[in-house]
Amino acid sequence: MAERPEDLNLPNAVITRIIKEALPDGVNVSKEARRAISQAASVFVLYATSCANNFAMKAKRKTLNAGDVMAAIEEMEFERFLQPLQEALEAYKKSQKGKKEASELKRKDRERKADDDNDRSREEDIEEEQDDDEGEAEEEVEN
Amino acid sequence: MWVTLSAPFGGDVEQQQQPRFSLYGRLACTMAAAVAERGSPEGEDDGRENTATEEPAGAPGGAGGQSRLARLPLSRIKALMKADPDVSLASQESVFAIAKATELFVEMITKDALVYAQQGKRKTLQRKDLDSAIEAIDEFAFLEGTLD
Repeated sequence: MAERPEDLNLPNAVITRIIKEALPDGVNVSKEARRAISQAASVFVLYATSCANNFAMKAKRKTLNAGDVMAAIEEMEFERFLQPLQEALEAYKKSQKGKKEASELKRKDRERKADDDNDRSREEDIEEEQDDDEGEAEEEVEN
Repeated sequence: MWVTLSAPFGGDVEQQQQPRFSLYGRLACTMAAAVAERGSPEGEDDGRENTATEEPAGAPGGAGGQSRLARLPLSRIKALMKADPDVSLASQESVFAIAKATELFVEMITKDALVYAQQGKRKTLQRKDLDSAIEAIDEFAFLEGTLD
């Protein structure tokens, strides 16, 4: 499904939750303000991406990496984001590592099970062949 | 390639001071216009969006949601990033970093707009509070002219 730029808004529910948590109790936010914040967030993504991409291009890299994003955030004068971002990145990297190891284990498990199944079905085939032979032998005798 | 953008940045002097970026200005205007036409219907595919970035194992309940890794769906963020033709590939970490930075941005702009609502002795954040924050705060200059 091709995504047009105008379809790429961020989910309302998530944006609303972030807004509500940033506000003290008892403060509300109008629908128009919410919509505008959501739009602003999308613009932010595009702007940060473009900025980060400049850093990647300068380093003659085709792949944007986290360092490019950090550099972009600093260039955009959002230095206050750098520390929490760095911390979140560390946590993310750890969780990715955990996920990778978990899926490696799953894969090995699956392969082992598949081997077991193959062995078992081969044994069944052999048994079936033996039964057929016995059947044929009986028929010949009767004839 | 420097594309001259007329709408978002006003006079020439401001253009020179703005960082050079390729597409985001045009895209932002396109998006803003399109969103305005569609309105913003509640109950989109919000709840069903892939929020696999949340880590239920490490985050008991939803206390403040700070312990989750990222709330914005990485798939959507990545799609936005790919809308820039100059971007070929982006590492998973970079997508996560942008997602997290965007969340921080939403928090920041919300709190900054709140100041103006409080000045107006209101308990509801309104669009004009946002406009005031954008006008007053340097870091939000890139937003000028991009919202409808």
